[in-house]
Amino acid sequence: MTAMTTALRLAPLFRSGGAQRPGAAALLPVASFAVVTALLLLVIAGARVFFSWDDELASTYQMLAVIALALLVVPLATVGASAAKMAARRRDDRLSSLRLLGASKATLGALTLIEAVTLSALGALGGVVLYAAAAPAVGLLAFRGEALGAGMWMPWWWAPLIAAAVVLLGALSALAGLRAVNVTPLGVRTRQRAAKSPWLRLLLGLGVVVLAVILVQLVPAFGEAGGVIMMMLALGTAFGAGLLALDLIGPWVLRVAARVQHRRAKDVESLVAARTILDDPKAVWRQVGGVAVTSFVGVFAAAGLAFSQAMASGEPGAGEQYLMVDISTGVLVTLAGSFLMVACSAGLNQAAATLDRGPVLVSMDRLGMPRKTMSAATARAMMSALWVVSGGSALCALLLVAPLIGMALFMQPLAVVTVVLVFAAGFLLIRGALFLAARLVPGILARPERVL
Amino acid sequence: MTNLLSVRGLGHTYPGAHAPALHSVDLEISRGESVAIMGASGSGKSTLLHALAGIIAPSAGHVLFHASTGPVQVDTLNDDERAKLRREELGFVFQQGLLLSELSALENVAVALMLSGSTRRDAEAAAAGWLADLGLAGLEDRRLGELSGGQVQRVAIARAHVTGAQLIFADEPTGALDSTTSTEVLDLLLHSVTQGRTLVVVTHDPDVAARCQRVVTLRDGSIVSDVAAANA
Ligand SMILES: Nc1ncnc2c1ncn2[C@@H]1O[C@H](COP(=O)(O)OP(=O)(O)OP(=O)(O)O)[C@@H](O)[C@H]1O
Ligand SMILES: [Mg+2]
Repeated sequence: MTAMTTALRLAPLFRSGGAQRPGAAALLPVASFAVVTALLLLVIAGARVFFSWDDELASTYQMLAVIALALLVVPLATVGASAAKMAARRRDDRLSSLRLLGASKATLGALTLIEAVTLSALGALGGVVLYAAAAPAVGLLAFRGEALGAGMWMPWWWAPLIAAAVVLLGALSALAGLRAVNVTPLGVRTRQRAAKSPWLRLLLGLGVVVLAVILVQLVPAFGEAGGVIMMMLALGTAFGAGLLALDLIGPWVLRVAARVQHRRAKDVESLVAARTILDDPKAVWRQVGGVAVTSFVGVFAAAGLAFSQAMASGEPGAGEQYLMVDISTGVLVTLAGSFLMVACSAGLNQAAATLDRGPVLVSMDRLGMPRKTMSAATARAMMSALWVVSGGSALCALLLVAPLIGMALFMQPLAVVTVVLVFAAGFLLIRGALFLAARLVPGILARPERVL
Repeated sequence: MTNLLSVRGLGHTYPGAHAPALHSVDLEISRGESVAIMGASGSGKSTLLHALAGIIAPSAGHVLFHASTGPVQVDTLNDDERAKLRREELGFVFQQGLLLSELSALENVAVALMLSGSTRRDAEAAAAGWLADLGLAGLEDRRLGELSGGQVQRVAIARAHVTGAQLIFADEPTGALDSTTSTEVLDLLLHSVTQGRTLVVVTHDPDVAARCQRVVTLRDGSIVSDVAAANA
């Protein structure tokens, strides 16, 4: 308990220490937590409406809602986790100087916890406000010919429940992050190098993919055995697993690609770009990983749209005529939601990464590297990562969706156009985030003493 | 000796600061000289160095640099022109904020040449030669985190010299080193002075200063003394 008392006494000092960097360090995670909370609340509110129905077609709607939820919730959790890790990373330096002064491990843990809880609680609060502001607009969406309207307002106790879950997520990831940085008195900026067992990750990732594919094949069987709930669980698990597998395999693929790029590099840009990836593939993956989600969702969206179009050409029954329109609506909403989230996280991650790279930027500047070369190197690292991410995730999503609805659907023009558009949007997103983050560079170079 | 740097009325006030960090500094540095800049912490040593080297644009005064291609008015250059000057004419050995932690020792040195247009193969060959000369053969592929403080400074020295820069700026190059390693690092820097290069070194260490030909002392942003070192 003394650790907690010490930590509480130190906490205000920590805050003023952070004020040196113009608030960005604290603001970034708070903003991410706010977006996560707001989207969670909106998505759950929408899904609740579907689950209040109990007619013949209700189970179809519910199944689709679960797919949408799985597509949104998994990435939401990763955004939250990376926000927390980001917050933890920014504390590293101050933590190790405290350690040098003799602060105990427990004190450091308590300090981390206090700061993480403060930041995520602030974010969650902001998220609830954001939800309240957005709910009326989202309520305009119509399903089965009726606007969601008041359905978007959930019983009040959902807000603190979700907020508490977000805070818990923030606290847990911060503690996990603290363990990963291993604070020693001299441990400033000792980053964890090379994943301990890349092969294990690769095998695990492949295993998860195989399991997910098998799971998807078994969905109808699950439906027969356990009814609609089992079926939904199986589907949701399979899609979540697909994203998890990407996260396990992605950084490894990135590293392999960067090795080749490093060997072939002829100019400074590509050399620095390849080294940036090799230095910490996971960090680079985190910055573009969001696009995995949009590509993944994009393939589902394409399937969904093509599917509803195929149904339109058949003989629509009474309720099915709505279902077809509603699938399109749902697909577009899911797509929009995931893009919004990924846009936020890409911007935030890119900005945080730029601040983190401060010392490198200053060094390159002093060496006389033209600023154009610097930004070209960063852009190149991100773009090569982006190709791996989009390609891998689209492939993974295809593996899961194709057996479910048949390959033929993907040959339809609507599906092709959707996939192409989604990919283009994903690239634009990262470009935009890079552009915004590049505007931080002159400020960093003007005050090098802040980052060194 | 011919003039390399002429400084007139140099002053600098950081944005938001109430007192100037540097104030009416006049200084002449000749080719082939070794000059130590001393002074208490906060007296403006690094600021002076950064203004001379075109790392910052001073808020007042003039810095004239006689480059290999002709005289250059450093204080009037824009960001890009100063970057070009730094990569083509100057060498730096700082304690931090200079080498790229992601790159290997060899690449750190080679990048300096690649920026001026050498191919990677040529740049790496030249870099390997410098590293070997400085006793770092076999360590080319190590990253900076895997080298000792003295080794890192040698990499920095190799990089400062590899482009053929005639003017080397060092800010506390031995600040984090033990006395034996300090002496070795300083030997390397002074050795290049015997070959006609010019060295400007900021230091707290009287032993380092004593081995330079000239010692300039700053107090509160102004030069208070400028003398030939006793045993130069
Ligand atoms: N980027 C900056 N912004 C504002 N003030 C600065 C900045 N850099 C230095 N200063 C201030 O300018 C003065 C001179 O700083 P400088 O770094 O040149 O000192 P120094 O002699 O190199 O000190 P040290 O020996 O500690 O390195 C100091 O008062 C310092 O606080
Ligand atoms: Mg200094």
